[in-house]
Amino acid sequence: MQNAAGSLHGTLDLLILKTLARDPNHGFGISLHIKEASAGLLAVEEGSLYPALHRLERAKLIQGHWRATANARRARYYSLTASGRKRLAAAEDSWNTVAQGVTRMMRFA
Amino acid sequence: MKRLWQRLLRAFSQRPADQDYSEEIQSHIDLLAGLHQDAGLPEEAARQLARRQFGNPTRIQEQVRGIHLNPFLEYLAQDLRFALRSLRRQPVFSCTAIAAIALGMGASTAVFSVVDRILFRDLPYAHQDKLVSFGLTAPIQQGEFMLGPDYVEWRASQKPFEAVTSWSGVNDCDLNDTNPVRLLCARVESTFLPTFGINPVLGRNFTPEEDLPNGPRVALLSHALWHSRFHANPAIAGKSIIIDGQSLLITGVLPADFELPSLDRADILLPQALNMSTARGPGMVVLWAFARLKPGVTAPQAEKALGSLFQRSLQFVPAGFRKEVFLRVRTLRDRQFQHARTASWVLLCAVIAVLLIGCANVASLMLARALSRDRELAVRAALGGGRWRLIRQTLTESLVLSCAAGLAGCLLAAALLRWFVRIAPEGIPRLQQATLDLRVLAFAFLLSIACGLLFGLAAALRNPRPASLTGSRGTWKPHSFLHAGLVTGQIAASIVLLTAAGLLIGALWSLQNRQPGIQPETVLLAPLTLPQQTTPAVRHAFFRQLETNLARLPGLTTLALSDSVPPTGPARDMIYSLIQVEGRPSAPQGTGGMVTWRTVTPAYFPALGIRILQGRGFLDQDRMPGPPSMILSQALARRLFPTGGAVGAKIRMGGGGDWHEVIGVAADVMNNSEYYVARRLLPAPETQRRATFIFRTPLDQTAMAAAIRTEIAHLDPLLPVTVEPMTRRLAELTARPKFNAVLLGLFAWMGLLLAAVGIYGVLSFLVAQRRREIGVRMALGATSSSITRLVLGQAMRWIAAGTLLGCAGAYAASRYLQTLLLDVPGRSMLSLAIAVAILIAFGLTAAWIPGRRAALVDPATTLRFD
Repeated sequence: MQNAAGSLHGTLDLLILKTLARDPNHGFGISLHIKEASAGLLAVEEGSLYPALHRLERAKLIQGHWRATANARRARYYSLTASGRKRLAAAEDSWNTVAQGVTRMMRFA
Repeated sequence: MKRLWQRLLRAFSQRPADQDYSEEIQSHIDLLAGLHQDAGLPEEAARQLARRQFGNPTRIQEQVRGIHLNPFLEYLAQDLRFALRSLRRQPVFSCTAIAAIALGMGASTAVFSVVDRILFRDLPYAHQDKLVSFGLTAPIQQGEFMLGPDYVEWRASQKPFEAVTSWSGVNDCDLNDTNPVRLLCARVESTFLPTFGINPVLGRNFTPEEDLPNGPRVALLSHALWHSRFHANPAIAGKSIIIDGQSLLITGVLPADFELPSLDRADILLPQALNMSTARGPGMVVLWAFARLKPGVTAPQAEKALGSLFQRSLQFVPAGFRKEVFLRVRTLRDRQFQHARTASWVLLCAVIAVLLIGCANVASLMLARALSRDRELAVRAALGGGRWRLIRQTLTESLVLSCAAGLAGCLLAAALLRWFVRIAPEGIPRLQQATLDLRVLAFAFLLSIACGLLFGLAAALRNPRPASLTGSRGTWKPHSFLHAGLVTGQIAASIVLLTAAGLLIGALWSLQNRQPGIQPETVLLAPLTLPQQTTPAVRHAFFRQLETNLARLPGLTTLALSDSVPPTGPARDMIYSLIQVEGRPSAPQGTGGMVTWRTVTPAYFPALGIRILQGRGFLDQDRMPGPPSMILSQALARRLFPTGGAVGAKIRMGGGGDWHEVIGVAADVMNNSEYYVARRLLPAPETQRRATFIFRTPLDQTAMAAAIRTEIAHLDPLLPVTVEPMTRRLAELTARPKFNAVLLGLFAWMGLLLAAVGIYGVLSFLVAQRRREIGVRMALGATSSSITRLVLGQAMRWIAAGTLLGCAGAYAASRYLQTLLLDVPGRSMLSLAIAVAILIAFGLTAAWIPGRRAALVDPATTLRFD
């Protein structure tokens, strides 16, 4: 996770961090947002989402706490921590570099 | 720290955190279901759809849990749970292993702590590490001594010492008061207290002027006397007391923990008033000299430094004795505990031997179990247990076992120590404060754990063989050789170690103990000392009159009079080589040591219950004028007449005087009192200042003592009288040996118990492993008695081999120990035989009980087991 760029893990982590950069959200909300924002191109399985969330929490990039949802259900909300914000900025940069690089490679070939 | 604790808690109790994860997942499903419901599905259908879409919640939950757990702690918790479960499943194994470690640890630590306390306690002197005793050694005295003139010279010109002092022993003295009492007075030099670093709690020490001959008469009181006699009066210094008819000024009071270097009791310290003359002659006093070493000087260096002074003093020793006189400088501690060093090594070795029995037990138990776990480990390896994981599992198990046993061992040690202190006789200084020796406790604990771990690992380190998986019904071949070796080795090791421990304990015991040789029951003693100014004629008249009066007391079986009474107290002695046997050339060079002698009345032997072994005892007519006669102790008779023929021989003492006919040989009594004279021609007991009346009476001792006191007071009301039972006097001497015997005996039994428990554990464990084989045999038609025969037969072969091997080893070990310790008692062989018999019995029982149990169980059950 240190060098997030390129790895599948890193991609999911980036998506989660990016989602949480707007607002704190719960697991279900995160998967919904990724689906909507990518116009259905990306779908996150729960089997990867929750381990990723807890891994990020353990790494202190995000923080979870229980809260009530808009329609009065209880859910665990995650929010970015300061180091999470920093990591997001770094990951976005490196992602852009990688994406540009990969795109150019594809065109060239 | 807090986080770690939380994680630990989480590792051990899976509940709360897990609930958290499952709740989160549940909320996800609920939210998803809510979405479906919003889209128009009925509630139940929405739920089902959501659940189907979600996948496997348990797997996700497990994955999430894995992220949050520290794998080390997680595995540890798992291993611990597993270890506890598997130890619970094999109670015989667990209990014997725990008992072995606990017994070994507990017994060795407690015994060591107590004996160490007795041998190596702190001395109550401020300069204890620098204090030495110095002087000449010669066979005529126990321990090094100085003669007055030598001491005066040495004191003036010695170099190695910072301070030098001396004292000259304890004597009876009488406190003449309205209530006269016999006390013990020690004579010490004025430098005595400062050299030892003792300060009076009240008043002051003697001044050097008060320590001169014919100086002012002063005294220091012991703390106990100050309390008992003067009600701890804080203004006692400056008052006077009358001792032996003379008025003395009390200068001070000694501290409560005051102790003479000889450990003798003293009520009063008097100035030694040493004569400063260096003239040698018959009036020379014998002193015990002590010194404080200069910084950086050791006792051997001091001994070297005193060499020239010693050579000078040697010139005054009669030429014939010169070869037996040596210089000795040794620490005070060494002087106080003559055998301390040997004894402590012997003790330490015995402790280690017992500890090793414990370790051997644990080792073989672990090994036995390791061998039997082959299949279990193979199964676990096949199911994906990594090598390291399996090793860790085994280690955890051994650790759990060792820690439980260690805890039990500590508790046992503490309990034993408290018990020892409770049963200890009075007067072992500072034993009450004895604490567990942490060094030994830690050592014992670590050794036991190391044993457990080492042998526990044996199983895990081997590669599991796939063949172990086949279940191999009924066959027990693969390890039978190893098992046989294990049991044989265990028994052999136990016997060797037990022999060693037994010999060591026996040696320690004989270092400390001797038989009194007296029948002390129903005997009362009344020691009397007449004032110095009395003449022999007056004494004779007084004692004769008193004897006649006392003999009239009703209820008296025997009444005797002696100038001294064994086993302790002042007695007269003479140089062995001065004893002449008629018709033999004079004794060879050297002194040959000292021989104690007493003058006694004829009833002495029956009164004390000393048996006459040859010839006859004294008769009443031996007190009448006639040819002088004497009785020898058995030890002296053997020494003088190695080929027999003591009775009838004629003996003369001190190079002159009358020839005495030996009329009998008496049994030895404690402390080597070696011959007895009852002739009028030698100073008869009744002409001495000091004499002891010996009473044998079946009546109540208290009433009799009162009657005796009244009778004596009738004749002389100012004479202090103490009437004491012989048993009490002996008890002072035997209480400590008895305590030591209890201690060491218990220790020996612990060792035996340990060995027995170990053998029982290993054998019964191994036989229990054969349950399935026994089941097969039963199913094939074996009877339960044939099974028992089979199991017992095999166990017997192992035990026999182990016993033979052990006895051979024990023989070698005892030969080796005999070269180390001169005094190895032969009777320990009998106790060893008993010990071996007990071990064999335990071994057979251990094979019989589980074998029988297995034979009685329905074969179907055993076959289905596992």
